[in-house]
Formats: sequence, structure tokens, C-alpha cells
Amino acid sequence: MIDTSTGSTPQPAFDPAPRQPTAESLARWLVQHVAAYTRLSADAIDRTAPLTGYGLDSVAALSLCGDIEDEFDLAVEPTVAWDHPTVEALVAYLLDALGPRPETA
Amino acid sequence: MTGGQEARTAARVAELNAAFGDPGDPVNPVGHDRLLEADEAGELSAAGEKLLDAFGLNAEFVPTALGGRLERVDSLARVLREVFRRDVALGLGYGVTSFMAAVNVWTGGDERQRTRLAEILLGGGRVSVAYHELAHGNDFLRNEFEARVQPDGSFLLHGAKQVVNNAGRADAWLLFSRTDPAPGPRSHSVLMVERAEVAPERLTVLPRYGTVGVRGCLLSGLDFDRAPVPGRALVGELGHGADLALRSFQLTRSALPGMALGAADTALRTVVSFARGRRLYQRTVDAIPQARATLGDAFLDLLISDCLCLAGTRSVHLLPDEASVYASAVKYLVPALLQGAMHDLSIVLGARFYLRQGEFGIFQKHLRDLPVLSLGHAGAAACQATIIPQLPRLARRSWFRGEAAPGALFDPRGDLPETPFGRLALTGDRDGLSASLVAAADTAPDGSPQEAAVRALARQLTGELRLIQQESLALPPQDRTALASPAAFALADRYAVLLAGAAVLGVWRRAGDRGDDPFLADPAWAAAALHRLVRRLGRRPADLPAGCVGRVQEELLRRHAERRSFDLYDTALAG
Repeated sequence: MIDTSTGSTPQPAFDPAPRQPTAESLARWLVQHVAAYTRLSADAIDRTAPLTGYGLDSVAALSLCGDIEDEFDLAVEPTVAWDHPTVEALVAYLLDALGPRPETA
Repeated sequence: MTGGQEARTAARVAELNAAFGDPGDPVNPVGHDRLLEADEAGELSAAGEKLLDAFGLNAEFVPTALGGRLERVDSLARVLREVFRRDVALGLGYGVTSFMAAVNVWTGGDERQRTRLAEILLGGGRVSVAYHELAHGNDFLRNEFEARVQPDGSFLLHGAKQVVNNAGRADAWLLFSRTDPAPGPRSHSVLMVERAEVAPERLTVLPRYGTVGVRGCLLSGLDFDRAPVPGRALVGELGHGADLALRSFQLTRSALPGMALGAADTALRTVVSFARGRRLYQRTVDAIPQARATLGDAFLDLLISDCLCLAGTRSVHLLPDEASVYASAVKYLVPALLQGAMHDLSIVLGARFYLRQGEFGIFQKHLRDLPVLSLGHAGAAACQATIIPQLPRLARRSWFRGEAAPGALFDPRGDLPETPFGRLALTGDRDGLSASLVAAADTAPDGSPQEAAVRALARQLTGELRLIQQESLALPPQDRTALASPAAFALADRYAVLLAGAAVLGVWRRAGDRGDDPFLADPAWAAAALHRLVRRLGRRPADLPAGCVGRVQEELLRRHAERRSFDLYDTALAG
């Protein structure tokens, strides 16, 4: 009764995240997203600076949460980027949420 | 207390209607003539305020658990519709601003704050809400008004809030305040401050603003000069003002448009009266095909709007984790539909729509008043911006796979569980409303030509959902921010139209199951409404089968002649 096909598959907007994320790979993935939302180059994003300083507005912050959920198959509060407002803080949050991994210890 | 909800709501609607009396009676103190005079004088109708005091309108805004009459958001909209039917300024200025303020406390306040606010409202007091500052508009995370946190946990209020309804006469204000100078969403908090707590020399009430419509509303502002207030003023957690506001918006965005539908009802009634009475080209205006079609289309716009309002308000109770996107769709699309209908009706009314007094003078008042609906607390673009980031998630996770919304979502008179203030989510990843459209495209009856037309239109809308899905998945990152391209905003528009179509289908099918409303159960109106929505999407649907348009026009004229409302409730009106 309900068609589950989604029609043509569009090109993904981003590279997929690595299967076994490390602090470094997560940080790169996040920087890439923040840069795209804020129309800045990845080099311009300081991992310790508040994201709102780069013009990441609240709508984009919600979009970023959706990306995290889809990428890591992880349910996160839509306010995750509000409570962890830098790339570094988000990486720490994600490492914790994704469970301990030897390569990040 | 769930049993008997419908009887309680219907009784209050009837009571309010009777209290307002015949709008056309020139000696009625709350009839059209007197309300127009109050508007010309820039005053809220004193007789109207007295009437609402006697009715205890404020109790509608207070949950039953706190001693009020607020059981259901759809019923709140239905009762307030009776006030907006008469006077938008009274609806907004007497009361709804108090509701918009109170929702923050019902959602995030502690026991003391909830009890105290209920006490103020049930005692007939008013509460103002101040989210916005003129300099920052809907970009309210840039607000500058400060509540400086003091070492002992108390606050110092400093700065100004502009264009606040009832600022000068409210007993308490809900103030969206900066509690941290750093940028970002965690720098804002909501405070409930009572007038009596503020030293008078620390507060200036700003001069009143003149406005195009709702001229009787007392819009001014507040300017605090380092005014100390106790720490207990904080509503919810420090730094959580933005989430609280976004949760509260779900109730106000879905409820307000349904209230304002009453004003559009009066406007349509006024123009039908004109069209039936005036003779041109040797016939009455309502016999001129173009005029007749415009009136029928306006009626459809009201019905479509009410279907979407119904789904939006009932979703708060039945699907609270999906309500965010529906509330924004209601607040975006319904004002646009109603104002579009008003514009078309003004053409039928001709030169009379420009007159500020007389039999048809109320039309121009409603025409001026109605746009306030899309200005207060989330303009159209802000609502679209709430929808846009959710589209890719819904596209990936929900559309064409999620479960259809329950039939109870579409039941105008069905009981509901109590308002789950604590369960409102900021975003959703499910959409049972669209899923009900997809299901209807496959399973709705299609025996008669009119039913077949409904089914074909539902299929067309399902095809549109597929296109919206593809385009949502392909949205580039910069189109998922507040600075998204016009194309992304257009996508949110099409999605809202599609949700309206799903709501129409749901209401029609539910009415068929219940069998207690022959008009709503008739596929004729559903086909005509869906046809109008598909055309709004820029598509060219097949012509409607014979009888659909005629059935809608006939119902419009019946309700006009019998003085019944032009919405889902077919309510008997005074006069």
C-alpha cells in the first residue's frame, strides 16, 4: 500500500564520515559541515571558537543536528550544537555518545 | 476530565455568541457600528472588554488543572474565533497576548509560577509577552535587552522592549532576556516579572505606537533602567530561553490562525450579503458567474484553512513530537490563504470595500486587522525557516515509509487527552499527516465520479510529495540555514500546501466514517478544495466533475441564509 522507494537518489552533499570515527576524523567532518553552512573555507574554522561566531544561525544548527543523526545513526537533542558550541566540544560529545573506541583513547 | 469536552466547548461558543448578539443591530454596544467607532477612536471597545470580563475569557488560557478551562488547543481556537469574528483588536488586545505569554509558564514554569500566573489571569489580570526588539525582528537571538545575573542569583533588568501589547496595563510580563553577553542560543532566558516587583522609578512605559490595523490595541514598550528583580523570576533553566520560546511557539502558531478565521468568516458573510442584495446587469451580483465563483472559492479557502488548523492544533495532543513542523505550516499558510481570500472578496465588494462606515464598513476593518496575524511572533518567513531544516530529515526518514496519522487527528468534535506541555519537541523526524495523504491516494473510496476526482487529486499531491522529497534531499547545505535561497523557501511553501491537502482529505474521510455531517462527508467539497490546492501548486488538474462547485456554493448560500459559520463547525450565529 505504501511505496517505500524514494525516486532518483541525489548526489550526497558531503563525503560520508569514516566508519570508525576518531577525534580527528570527527573534527574534519564537522569542520566541513560548518564551513558549508556558513559559506566559509574549512581553514577559517577554529576548532575551539564558538560556532555562532562564524554565523552558524539557529536554523543551521538544527540542520547540523539532523546531519549528525543521519550520519552516525544517533538520536541527539536538536539543541546539541547549542550545548556544545565549538567543534572541539561537539567532537568530545560525539566520541562519548558513540561509545569508547580504542583508537581515540 | 475528558468526557463531555464537545458539550462544554459548544456551550461556551454559544454563550459568547449570544453575549455579542446581533452584529448588524445599530444599538448593540458590541455590534459592527460601535466596534467601528471604537476603531476610529483608536480604542478597544469598552463594552467588549466588559463582556469578556463577564464571560471570564482569561479562564480559556488557564489549564483545567490550575482552575481554568483550557482543555484543548483546538477548542481554545474555536472559542476565541467568536471574539475574532467580531473584532480582531479585542481578540488580540483583550486576551490572546496573555495566552502567548502564559504558554511559556505552562511549558517551562515551576509550581509557584504556574499557580501565581493562573491566579493573575483568573483574577482578570493581563500578562504581556516581549520576545522581540524592533532592531532584530525574528532574529531574536541577537536581542540586547538584558537580565544581568547578580552574584546572589537575582537579576538587573536593563534595556527596552518595543511593540508590546498591553505593556502599560499588564500585571506581569514575560520577558525574553539576554542573560549572557556571549553570542549564541544559550545566552537567553525567559523571566516572568510582576509589575509590583519593579520599582516604578526604574521603569518607563514607552509611547504608544500607531498602527494600520487593530487600532484599539495598546501597543507600547517597556524601558528598564537597572531594575532589580528576584531570582525566582526565571522561568525554566538559565540559558534555555530559546528552546522554551520555540516550544511555546508550537501552541501559539497553531492556535492563532484558527482564531483569526472568525474575522475572515465575517468578511465573507459581509460580501455574500452585498452580493445577494445588489443588482447589476439586471441580476443580483451573486448570479454573476465570476462573483459567484469568487465567493465559493473564498468559502473553500476558509474550509481548507480550518482543516489545517484542526490538524495542527490536534497534533499538539496526539502527535506532540511532530507538532513543530505542522504549527509552522499553519502559521505560514493560513494567514496567506485568508488574506488572499480577503483580497479577492474586496474586488466583489468593489468601491464599498473602501468605505469606513455603513453596512459593509466592517469589511475594511477586518482587511486592515487580519495582517497582524502574520506579524506577531513569527512572520511567514520565520515559519518557513523553521520548516526548511526539517525537510531533508523528513525526506530521509519519514515520507513514504512512516505510519499514517490517526483518524482522530481530523475529528473536529472528538475528545483529546490533555495538553502535553512538557512533551513538545523542537523538531520532528516523523510526519503522519503526509503519510495519511499517501495512504488516502491508495485507499480512499472512488466509486462516484466525485470520489474518483478526490482520489485522482490525492494521487497528484502524492506525486508532489515525491518531488518535494527529491528536492529536499538535494538541498545544498547553505539552503538549510536562515539564509536559504528563495527556492528553499518555495519548497517550504509547497510542503505547507501539501499538508493542507492532507488535512482536507483526513477531515473528509473522518466525516465519512462518523456520518454525522453530511456536507463534510460529501466528496464534492473535498474535490473542490483539493483542486484549488493543486492549482495553487502550479499544476493543472483535470476539470472537476459536475456538481462539485455547485454543491460548495449552495452550502455557502444555505449557511449565509441560516446564519451559520463558514468553517468545519457549521455553528449557529447570533443575529
